[in-house]
Amino acid sequence: MSENENSTPDADETPPAEVASETVCRTSAAGESACSEKPRRNFVVEATAAAVGAVVGIVPAVIGGLFFLDPLVRKGEQKDDAGAGGDAPDRVVKDADGFIRLTLGIEALPADGTPVRYTVHDDIVNAWNMFPNQPIGAVWLRRIQDQVLAFSTVCPHLGCDVEHRSGEGDFFCPCHTSAFDMDGKPLNAIPPRAMDTLETKLADDRIWVKYEQYRGATSEKELV
Amino acid sequence: MIRSLLAWLDNRTGCNDLIHEALYEKVPGGARWRYVWGSTLVFTFVLQMITGIFLWTAYSPSAQTAWESVYYIQEVMFLGKMVRGMHHFAAQAMVVLLAIHLIQVIIDGAYKAPREINFWLGLVLLKIILGLSLTGYLLPWDQKGYYATQVSTKIMGATPVIGAQLQEVVQGGAQYNHHTLTRFFAMHAGILPGLLIGFLALHLYVFRRHGLTVHQPKKNPDTTFWPDQVLKDGVACLGVLAVVMLFAFFKGAELSPPADAAKAYAAARPEWYFLFLFRFLKFEAVEHLGLAFGAIYVPGALMGILFMMPLTAKMKAGHRFNVAFTWLVTFGIVVLTTMAFYEDANNEDHQAAIAEAERDAHRIKELASRPTMIPVEGAVSLLRQDPFTQGPVLFAKYCASCHRYNGHNGRSIVLRETDKETKIVSITTPEATDLANFGSRDWMKAIITDYGNHFAPLKKAKWYPGTDDAEFNLDDSEMADASEGYAEAFTSPENANDLNALVEALIALRGWNGDEESIDTKLVERGQQILDGEPLADGTEISSCADCHDTIGSDFEVTGEGYGYPDLAEYGSAKWLKAFISDPGSDQFYGAKNHMPAYAEKMNAKDLDLLVRWMTGDYYETHVKDYPSRITEVFGAAPQPEAASADE
Repeated sequence: MSENENSTPDADETPPAEVASETVCRTSAAGESACSEKPRRNFVVEATAAAVGAVVGIVPAVIGGLFFLDPLVRKGEQKDDAGAGGDAPDRVVKDADGFIRLTLGIEALPADGTPVRYTVHDDIVNAWNMFPNQPIGAVWLRRIQDQVLAFSTVCPHLGCDVEHRSGEGDFFCPCHTSAFDMDGKPLNAIPPRAMDTLETKLADDRIWVKYEQYRGATSEKELV
Repeated sequence: MIRSLLAWLDNRTGCNDLIHEALYEKVPGGARWRYVWGSTLVFTFVLQMITGIFLWTAYSPSAQTAWESVYYIQEVMFLGKMVRGMHHFAAQAMVVLLAIHLIQVIIDGAYKAPREINFWLGLVLLKIILGLSLTGYLLPWDQKGYYATQVSTKIMGATPVIGAQLQEVVQGGAQYNHHTLTRFFAMHAGILPGLLIGFLALHLYVFRRHGLTVHQPKKNPDTTFWPDQVLKDGVACLGVLAVVMLFAFFKGAELSPPADAAKAYAAARPEWYFLFLFRFLKFEAVEHLGLAFGAIYVPGALMGILFMMPLTAKMKAGHRFNVAFTWLVTFGIVVLTTMAFYEDANNEDHQAAIAEAERDAHRIKELASRPTMIPVEGAVSLLRQDPFTQGPVLFAKYCASCHRYNGHNGRSIVLRETDKETKIVSITTPEATDLANFGSRDWMKAIITDYGNHFAPLKKAKWYPGTDDAEFNLDDSEMADASEGYAEAFTSPENANDLNALVEALIALRGWNGDEESIDTKLVERGQQILDGEPLADGTEISSCADCHDTIGSDFEVTGEGYGYPDLAEYGSAKWLKAFISDPGSDQFYGAKNHMPAYAEKMNAKDLDLLVRWMTGDYYETHVKDYPSRITEVFGAAPQPEAASADE
């Protein structure tokens, strides 16, 4: 392949010409082309050719690349369908601020403030699918007079599941023995912060919780 | 610095030689536009690799997710329509460019010695590209691709000896299933592109070995590939890219409704470049010789002749034969393709099937974009449960033998019949009312003031007096008489509002979706008074509806009892309509006068529910254009409302 054969379009029977009658180009060691009748290098032609070549290559790559960045481009553009029951009766009721309506009213919680574990459900969107009413996590609910206190069951230490020990009267995480009092304050030095409280409100005779997840092992509460 | 880095790189890899080898290919006689076709093909393939890999990042091959993921790419994802459109149209561009390249190679004699091998390599590439088109067509798992690919796999099944096994292996089972998609996808995105790259490398290597086939006479001094020919190639590629992108932007790749094995797709056609083969197979003589003959032996023989061309060329007049053969086949393909397009354009059934597919395709996008999105069972379940989609189909199946819907059969087809003796085709006369406006204000008005005309199609029914043994004569019917009286009473301008009020009161009874917002309560109140027997505005006393239809105004209940005066409790409501369709001959409805079959046994409850919900507008709101009305074609011009009363 070091040199090209001369093409002889009309000669059906001509074997590949070994003698290159018009060979013009040779490659020097320095990598510069030396053609015997080298046409004058035309900078305009070269620049245009390079530019056109670049355009046809870059345009599809950029379009494809932007398509791939879809998750970033469409971030926050998710349709706000909160509270829209649609025609799926089992959908979760959620208000515009992200509060999820629970099936409980405050009267279902013990008046003495004993925590009740409640599994929160939400509609989960998975690309083109929507799975209505799926469990997304749990909360500890406590009734304090006519208010509801909600803690995430996710330990602020390393994310294990915090239990309520009625005998000890505390919250306790079995993974690394984090312990919290009934108001969620740490009882030992293991957790980096208090248990994460979740916003609640009361409306339509029900408890509503804004279920959120927070980063673990940080002293400040940061949304994931 | 850069220079020394490049020198180091060259020293270690020899890349400079490679670049020179690539760029300083000799172009005897100067750069020419006619040399660009091979390059455009390589470019289109690269374009397919780029767009294809990005599509791959979002495509999900399974029967419940393939259509859904393509829908998501196309309708939801950023630039998805563009990326899929480019992939779709570049595939078609590739076939066109391939045809140009092949024809040029033949007429320029570039296939002759010493380039035989390269010609054969090119034919292998052609086969691979057709394979890519075929496998890619199925991947969206839409009706069009699904049913068109069924034909291809059936043809595969017609292969002698191993056909059945071959088909089953390709499909990954006896029927289309998840594995059909995973297999086709592996072929389309893995095996075939891999083969294509390999054979393309060989093709280019052998091409370089023998060089360009120079078109005589040489017009210009010799030059090199870079930069003169590169510029021409680049501009040609830019042209291809522009055309592909314009199509992607303005036309967009089609996505027909999700594949449904239970719903035959009458509009199934292969991609347009396979249409000639499709049309060829439709010739009666070809069909008669069997699928294997038309779809395997004949194309095989043509490919064989193509394959033999470099050898044929060695014979006397061999080249001329090859060129003539090429033009002949091209001509044949053009003629067959044109025939296929022309026939489809003039085939009303085919057009109706396309209209239905488009209606469904738009509708499914509406349903899938609801907040409830697509269920796990797949998008096809949305269409199956949608009254707007299923209603027309059920109407065509169960009702259209007598009734019409805007003149057509529900699915936009005007029913015709052929006279056995004269062979003249004429529009079939409807034997019952057109139900497109059932329960509407127009319908209510027509029943009150124009009963005889409204039900006139019954007079064309085969059972009607004079044609058969029927008892019911519309002209003698009590309601027709009463209606004439009403028509007269309501003609006076003072009473015009009363007619509207009466209609509005009847509309209030039907209780359809959205009625609450649209109903004029004041009118309803007045209408109620008339229903109860109060005189009209000008003092005329008319016989009250409740005289005969004594349940009007009360809640509807299926009792089966009555006097053959149709029960008008909640007339036009879904409840009423269901009971009526189930047993119209019940004494609660038409009793002995009835001639409509009872559907309680003929239709299952789910279908009846879908049909009734469609007729009463009980479905997710739609912006899809319904089929155009054919009513004047079938029923003639609508009678003037005054005409009936003027006759008196």
